[in-house]
Amino acid sequence: MPQPDKTFRDLSRRDFIKLGLGGALAVAGTSALAACNPTTPHAASPTTAHYNDPHNAIDGAMLAMPGFDGEIDYEANGFNPTNLLTDFDYGKVSTLSNGQTLREYNVFAGVKAVEIMPGVMYEAWTYNGRVPGPTFRCTEGDRIRINFVNATPHPHSMHFHGIHPGNMDGVYEPIPPGGKFVYEFDAEPFGLHLYHCHVFPLAEHIARGLYGTFIVDPKQGRPQADREFVMMMTGTDLDFDGENDVYAVNFIPFHYDKYPIKIKVGELVRVYLVNILEFDPVNSFHLHANFFHYYPTGTSLTPVEFTDTIAQMQAQRGILEFRYKFPGKYMFHAHKTEFAELGWTGVFQVEG
Amino acid sequence: METTIQTRTGSRTALLFGIPILLLAGVIALFLFTNGAGLNIEPAAPIENLQFERTLLRPGVIELHVRNTSPQEITLAQVIVNDAVWQFTASPSKTLPRMGQAIVTLRYPWTQASAYNIAIFSASSIAFRTEIPVAAPTATASSETLWSFSLIGLYVGVIPIFLGMLWLPALRRLGAQWLMFLMAVTAGLLVYLGIDATSEALEIAGALGGAFQGVGLIGIGIVATFLLLDAITRRQVGVGRGETSQRVTLAFMIAVGIGLHNLGEGLAIGAAYSTGAASLGTFLVIGFIIQNITEGLGIIAPILKDRPAWRALVWMGFIGGAPAIIGAWIGGLNFSQPLAVLFLAIGAGAVFEVAYEIAKLVHKDTAKRPMPLTVFAGVTAGMLLLYVTGWFIK
Ligand SMILES: [Cu+2]
Repeated sequence: MPQPDKTFRDLSRRDFIKLGLGGALAVAGTSALAACNPTTPHAASPTTAHYNDPHNAIDGAMLAMPGFDGEIDYEANGFNPTNLLTDFDYGKVSTLSNGQTLREYNVFAGVKAVEIMPGVMYEAWTYNGRVPGPTFRCTEGDRIRINFVNATPHPHSMHFHGIHPGNMDGVYEPIPPGGKFVYEFDAEPFGLHLYHCHVFPLAEHIARGLYGTFIVDPKQGRPQADREFVMMMTGTDLDFDGENDVYAVNFIPFHYDKYPIKIKVGELVRVYLVNILEFDPVNSFHLHANFFHYYPTGTSLTPVEFTDTIAQMQAQRGILEFRYKFPGKYMFHAHKTEFAELGWTGVFQVEG
Repeated sequence: METTIQTRTGSRTALLFGIPILLLAGVIALFLFTNGAGLNIEPAAPIENLQFERTLLRPGVIELHVRNTSPQEITLAQVIVNDAVWQFTASPSKTLPRMGQAIVTLRYPWTQASAYNIAIFSASSIAFRTEIPVAAPTATASSETLWSFSLIGLYVGVIPIFLGMLWLPALRRLGAQWLMFLMAVTAGLLVYLGIDATSEALEIAGALGGAFQGVGLIGIGIVATFLLLDAITRRQVGVGRGETSQRVTLAFMIAVGIGLHNLGEGLAIGAAYSTGAASLGTFLVIGFIIQNITEGLGIIAPILKDRPAWRALVWMGFIGGAPAIIGAWIGGLNFSQPLAVLFLAIGAGAVFEVAYEIAKLVHKDTAKRPMPLTVFAGVTAGMLLLYVTGWFIK
């Protein structure tokens, strides 16, 4: 007779009952009571046969990629991640008396129920009704003026990464509900930056969606690219337990899986990649079947690396440049596979 | 003339009963239309509860049986399995009314003995989580599994009780003082079983959704069973039968009480087996056998002085032991937690009542002769006996 497993002794009868009821059991091992072993799969039983049926087998597509059924109502959300990729906001442009270019932006903070996965509503905090907020784009040395209105019941602010006076930093002047503030500063240095709310508790204010990209182009510009895309690596804590439940680029999980980003063979593609992930220390970007030139923070015109995978910690960012040699469908995703399976994947559809 | 008066009286009574009910409806309407007592009755966030009642595993498939125990309807929107968003189907619907059930089916290539964390997100992005600590295929209803569950019930219920009853000839040789001691031991056994069943019922009740009112269900089960058995006993006494036949009845009642207890035991065993606990097998079954042999002893204790018919003894053994088989079937094939709570409570009520009957019998006998510590020693010994044999299965 086989010896009982040692773990049996650790299991009280109450646990046994509880586990039985809960539909689970914490003990592994082999059956000792061969005569009374009902758990051996019975190939002949109709239910098992049903699930072994090839027509009922797990389909290949699902094993290749996780994801969800159903559609998101982007109209109701008011923004679509596909459009956010290329939506650069140059502001209302005028020239100051000293000849400097002035770019003026109107921004409001709002509260919005966003369908983040099909059927799942999440109360997001937004800049201009979208997550991520608008991508401000300007040229080094421009005067930036942001007329900020807080249309939420919570105090908020806008904190820009870059070089500016202390009273324009968005840290010590939380804007109360209904309040207004004008942020004004000169855009420097050139590079890829970001902005976000800086009101405490910071993690929640950022995780709820108050963030966006801030691009300062060099005076002489960058080499002409055929396509430019903005991607913010995001995570969302749906049940507010301090851990992200889903991940994405540009907030909606799996969006670019379902709606691949179309590019052409040989085109120069430039991706402005920003990590605004809360709760997890590091995020990453991996490009399939290709390599890219990487410009950390975009503050230099010389790439530091030719690679297919980079890591960014929170608020780190960089510019990726690449061309595809062959037509086809190519994934890009977090190489932290957990993030990928929870939504941070996308596809470049390369056409000949 | 007389009938009209009666009818009139009848309708007047109905009217008098009806008035407060009508007024009550008015008060409720007033409360609803005037926004209650002025308090904000809208909760800040929807109150949602989802009860995981059963998890079934088949090759390539995880099936979750869930019930909505929240005050309003819930829509299941997304499922995450071990940090991966997973597609699912829900039947009859992804939207569950209050107390409604759904079967959530995931085509998931799970592997034997792995652990799985599953989160179901509702439309209001509230997560409900469940766990499969060690994955193994779930037993399905077939003649083969039914036979296996029967065998288990036989091993842990029927056989040990008959073995315990085999002590009958040996115990007959004991003196009156010892018989009294044995009765007290039996009472102790029963009280212990009742406490044990109650605590198990409470534990399951705690895991039930609020709407099931698990603790109230336990109260109903215990009190109703106790009073029903008490009424049956009194009626039999009232019929004026002899003391011998009364003791045989008591033995039968002990068998019934122990049988109900074993039904609960069978439920637990069946449920555990059906979710992959076959590995528990030998050790647990041996533990139950050792504990249940004492239950056979309890059944025969009141009839040691008598010469009951063989047939009666066989019936007592079956009544005490066979419910374990039925319990294993129910538990193994289609388990319902509220039902389990009720069964355990009925079992507890039954053993408490039988202990009370024994106490009356013992009291009647002890009144005739002085035996100061026999009852104390017997009851304590009975309880300790189960406590110590419990080490084998706890
Ligand atoms: Cu904020």
